[in-house]
Amino acid sequence: MSSTAHAAPDPRDLLIDIVDMWKTYVMGTTEVHALRGLDLQVRAGEYVAIMGASGSGKSTLMNLMGCLDTPTRGRYVLHGRSVSELNEDELARIRNQEIGFVFQTFNLLARASALQNVELPLIYAGVAPAERRARAEEALRQVDLLERAKHRPNELSGGQRQRVAVARALVTRPAILLADEPTGNLDSTTSGEIMVLFDRLHALGNTIIVVTHEHDIAAHARRIVSIRDGRKATDELVHHPTLVSAGSP
Amino acid sequence: MNFLEGVRIALGAIRANVLRSFLTLLGIIIGITAIISVIAIINGLNLYVAENLSNFGPGVYVISKFGIINNHEKFLEALRRNRDLKISDARAIAQSCDLAEHVACEVHSTQDLKRGSEQVQEVDIGGIDPTIVDIEPYEVDQGRNLSDDENSRAARVCFIGQDIVDNLFGTVDPIGKSMRIRNQEFEVVGTAKKKGSVFGFSRDNFVKIPINTFCKMFGSQRSVNISIKAVPGVPLEDSMDEARVVLRSRHHLRYGDEDDFGIVSAEGVNELWRNLTQTIFLVAIFVVGISLVVGGIVIMNIMLVSVIERTREIGVRKAIGARNRDIQLQFLVESVTLSCVGGAIGVTSAFTLTWLMRTFTPLPANFPLWAPLLAFGMCAVIGVFFGVHPARKAARLNPIEALRSE
Repeated sequence: MSSTAHAAPDPRDLLIDIVDMWKTYVMGTTEVHALRGLDLQVRAGEYVAIMGASGSGKSTLMNLMGCLDTPTRGRYVLHGRSVSELNEDELARIRNQEIGFVFQTFNLLARASALQNVELPLIYAGVAPAERRARAEEALRQVDLLERAKHRPNELSGGQRQRVAVARALVTRPAILLADEPTGNLDSTTSGEIMVLFDRLHALGNTIIVVTHEHDIAAHARRIVSIRDGRKATDELVHHPTLVSAGSP
Repeated sequence: MNFLEGVRIALGAIRANVLRSFLTLLGIIIGITAIISVIAIINGLNLYVAENLSNFGPGVYVISKFGIINNHEKFLEALRRNRDLKISDARAIAQSCDLAEHVACEVHSTQDLKRGSEQVQEVDIGGIDPTIVDIEPYEVDQGRNLSDDENSRAARVCFIGQDIVDNLFGTVDPIGKSMRIRNQEFEVVGTAKKKGSVFGFSRDNFVKIPINTFCKMFGSQRSVNISIKAVPGVPLEDSMDEARVVLRSRHHLRYGDEDDFGIVSAEGVNELWRNLTQTIFLVAIFVVGISLVVGGIVIMNIMLVSVIERTREIGVRKAIGARNRDIQLQFLVESVTLSCVGGAIGVTSAFTLTWLMRTFTPLPANFPLWAPLLAFGMCAVIGVFFGVHPARKAARLNPIEALRSE
């Protein structure tokens, strides 16, 4: 790890522009400030790891970036659109089209095949069945699981399930791939596979944000942002001599 | 959000736990089975009645001492004030009513029949004007109807139903043979075609003799029934009113008095029948309604359980872009599918039950083709009505909390 935080980015290729974001939860009579004036900018094509201890506010930040929640105060512009004051339906639309979620526990629908799981976001996007199928197959091909398209999650290994989840996240061609502890439920070998997949997706031009508390996972990113007490603590670029020169593995 | 997916999920959930689903749907199944069976029975009875009970042709009505009386007080009242109808009343109507094409009398008595050593007890003996065949035709099987000539000379001839043929004559051809009514010899001139039975009462157990012969044997004190056929094209009501006026003046009734006789027409019989079945139907609807409401509540419960079980799935769906209304629709489709599956089972078992009734009991049940539509309509309403609450609950879940749930 080296270098310092970069200079003021060109606002045109800013994907995420968070300025002075606060999130306050009221618990009984006390107010809990999960975020206290956080600033974060992410440009298209970046690969960012967000780190922090539990209670640091990184989950809150993740939920807010993923448009699952709205900030109490502050500005959040996602892909040129201010999303801090949208209603539930508008947020659902943003989640559908701009965000691709990857969860720690995969969160695939148990009764649906891999292909059907990947098709799901397209159903909500109102894509016609034939195109839906073609795009879902394309997404499965990207994660090398096309031959398992008909299998249900319980017929797949943990790593394969997470790859299906990644395909589901990619299928709507979102602006950002948002992964929350994507390897938390995987052993080290399969974790490695998933991170290699992420590296490859990054090399293909996807913007990836990974929330993790594991340093070796974060080390795959090109930039590590650490959160402490609801504020950004550090923001560093990571130098990858081997990966950069080798391109995608 | 697509509809078929919801149906598929619901069917999958039903398949995943057959016993639980069956118990869940039991209320709906019983309710739908019951209501369709009741409909089938009433429908069958209606057809039966239309075919068999009101054998009046169009434009025909009968004036009798009592008419149709459906409550006890009225009966007692009628017993007190209604006058016997006489043959002379019939003749007066025939003479004064322009709107009556045919008028004929019939008078009844129950007697035993004998032929040699054979005996048949309690047979309906009808003394008739032979012209009554112009009003209520008897289909002749063998021989002929009674004639006017036989009536005017009070001949001892008779026209008999199939039960009499079977019980008294067996394999012998009855035409021209004799039998005894109250120790008087009668010659059989004709037999009627078999009419079958209504609600277990045979309609072939009769003997018709000329009315003059009847009066000679039994006297003329009995009240007669007057059958009237209105002139074709004339409203039945007008002809009835005309006859009513004649009888009222003959009975010296004052303006405000009620009729002291009854008028029965096919419409009257059918109306009575409709009133009766309507009551049965309403009671059945009420009872079945309770069962359907209980069934609906059970579905609501199972849907609430389903929402809790699938909280995380709801969270995932929301995270990948499902709007509240998508989630709501999904759960509504599920509850409707669930109740319609119950409805389908109910319709099937009602169909089977109807078939069993028709085959093995005298109940003339008939399964109307619109019944399944009604059943599915009701099930859809139940599914929506009792599915709205769980579906709303699912739709309103906070995605973050839903994702966090185990």
